[in-house]
Amino acid sequence: MAKVIVIGGGWAGCATAVTAKKAGADVTVLERTDLLLGLGNVGGIMRNNGRYTAAEEIKSLGAEELIEITDRVARHKNVDFPGHKHATLYDVQLIEPMVRRKLREMGVNIKFESRVIDVKMAGPKIISVLTSDENWTEGDVFVEATGSTGPMGNCLRYGKGCSMCILRCPTFGPRISISQRAGVEDLLGQRGDDSYGAMSGSCKLSKGSLGTEVVEKLDKEGVVVLPVPQDDINMEKLGMKVCQQYALKEFAENIVLLDTGYAKLMTSYYPLEKLRKIPGLENARYDDPYSGGRANSIRYLSMAPRNNGMKVEGVQNLLCAGEKSGLFVGHTEAIATGSLAGHNSVRLHLGMPLLELPRSISLGDIIAYANEMIKLPAGLKNRYTFSGGNYFTRMQEQGLYTTDPAQIRQRIERMNLIDIFKVKLV
Amino acid sequence: MYRILDCIDAGSEYCPCYLAETGECLTCSQLQGKTFCDCKNWKGVCIYQEYVWNRLRMKERRKNTICELVEKKHVSENVMIIKIKVTRTMARELNQPGAYVFLRGTDEAEYFETPMAIMAVDEREGAIDIAVQVRGVKTKSLSQADSEISLRGPYWNGLLGLKFIKGLRDSSALLAIRGIGQAPALPVARKLVTAGNRVEVILDVGRSEVNFTKENFLELGCVVTEKSLLDPASLLVPEATLAYIKKSITENGVKLVYSGGSDKLHLGIGRLLSSQQERVYFACSNDARICCGEGICGSCHTRLSDGSRVKTCKTQLSPVELFT
Repeated sequence: MAKVIVIGGGWAGCATAVTAKKAGADVTVLERTDLLLGLGNVGGIMRNNGRYTAAEEIKSLGAEELIEITDRVARHKNVDFPGHKHATLYDVQLIEPMVRRKLREMGVNIKFESRVIDVKMAGPKIISVLTSDENWTEGDVFVEATGSTGPMGNCLRYGKGCSMCILRCPTFGPRISISQRAGVEDLLGQRGDDSYGAMSGSCKLSKGSLGTEVVEKLDKEGVVVLPVPQDDINMEKLGMKVCQQYALKEFAENIVLLDTGYAKLMTSYYPLEKLRKIPGLENARYDDPYSGGRANSIRYLSMAPRNNGMKVEGVQNLLCAGEKSGLFVGHTEAIATGSLAGHNSVRLHLGMPLLELPRSISLGDIIAYANEMIKLPAGLKNRYTFSGGNYFTRMQEQGLYTTDPAQIRQRIERMNLIDIFKVKLV
Repeated sequence: MYRILDCIDAGSEYCPCYLAETGECLTCSQLQGKTFCDCKNWKGVCIYQEYVWNRLRMKERRKNTICELVEKKHVSENVMIIKIKVTRTMARELNQPGAYVFLRGTDEAEYFETPMAIMAVDEREGAIDIAVQVRGVKTKSLSQADSEISLRGPYWNGLLGLKFIKGLRDSSALLAIRGIGQAPALPVARKLVTAGNRVEVILDVGRSEVNFTKENFLELGCVVTEKSLLDPASLLVPEATLAYIKKSITENGVKLVYSGGSDKLHLGIGRLLSSQQERVYFACSNDARICCGEGICGSCHTRLSDGSRVKTCKTQLSPVELFT
């Protein structure tokens, strides 16, 4: 039996657990907080632009569970908002318990409030990991899905301080870079001005604090666009943002609200006094981050060098997924990289060659493309997402983007990869 | 690589300290000259954030205050118990196992300051009791103080393995205490008894000539036995005493042993515990040569098995790292 230890229970870690389990492993997820999904508890955007293609690819490859849950708890489907088409908005207030139940049902062992702080090595292999309660957890293969966001010191050094986001570092203790503990130096993303990291791209307003008309429109259509007063338009803020797919002029000139259970405000932060000048938002207040009027979390400060099978270079039995594995943005990207890492964790244990997804599908292409780009100075300033920015342009140019599930299934079929993640290897 | 080294001051009102300004913080990687978080020993507070909010400066340091010497009671020829009047805040901050202060006569130079463990605290009246055993220059000078004394504090790292003492509940503990080590063992016993533990005490008069704390331990409800803990010639724990401790572990279910005395006593007990099958927590008095208490002077440093140095005046670590 392959014992796979997944460090971090965000979308990437959950996806890793799903495919590792399907491949036959004994899977334990060590999660620092008391919730799975990490930033997925305040995210919610799926299937916009190229993410539609990617979501269908994930399903055809045989890791449909998590995508199906996001579809099932969708508050809105087929929503268009500036620069984005056919988005699904899942209800962030419903999704976590469903994922938790699904994982448990599949037999994944989840340990909450288990912050991994160190590793024990034997040569180039990790034998076990130490949690802050001073217990060691042994494993055959480890998958790091700790993300790249925070903790407080980084948010302060590279941002505007802790904004009290859903990651709740002060309560549960900060993220630790496991690959760095294993002796592999982290890569750091950059912003346009060469400074490090990037700021999370959205805040969440409490819907109860918004005007009736805004709430009604959000409930009905899923999206509300309100013009920003001329004096308050701030184009500079776009450069700080993680989400280059939302770093568009329209997002500086308008307040874009999406209904994910919260009113998701598509900007990194927005001073409360200014926000309340906008009709309908006179009483607005933030639910995530609590200090969304001032700051947001800083990300991309901890990526591990890896190959296209998601194995971390320099450590024999460590894989990575999600933001830890590159400058990826979004849940779909986390589920995509996590699904591959989970499947490959069992292959790695068995000494089989790792699965690399072909570049004729968007999953394979983004994983390989992000890896090529991260080695270039300019590549460190980019983000890679199916939903926009330069990668969505590339998807369109390469003919990878389609919203036809039959065509997507055909592509996967042609590569003989239908349900590859369902193959039980041990 | 895998040890937990906590700074006793982390997150306190004295954190960040001078070590943050010089890039030598014991806890925070950002304050060790690095530019990323590697927060292994999280203490509930981001020290880097505290530092930046404090305008990139250390917090105000502990200051010397002149305190009234209320009482001086000789319990033997070379041991006396002094009662010092302090603020209620200071008393409250010193009311925990391992607390100590620096004392010196008001006319003496700063290098006469000597670390003295707290034996008892009166939070309501604002007073502390300290046992002084006259050994050398500093304690001699201290013994001559009459009405006033200079005090710097509070300090907390007077014992190692604090979390084991704080964590033991409704269980059983054994304190092996020798000589002047009796004084700081009293707050340890108090803490353990309050948490519902059964406490056995082995007292060895050592060089104190008298077991001046025996009554206090009995009052707390401890079971007190008097035994030799260290053979003066060989500096080893006598076999009979080791056998007694072993029996307490196996028969009385002792889950924590505290060693209060010299390094030799710690070593003898540490070796015994590591040879036991039962998992028994180990705590001990901090016997390092503490001079400044602030991690600056380096006199308290000790080496771990991997050769790395630890400043024991501030670092909480498991005694197993040092005495096995």
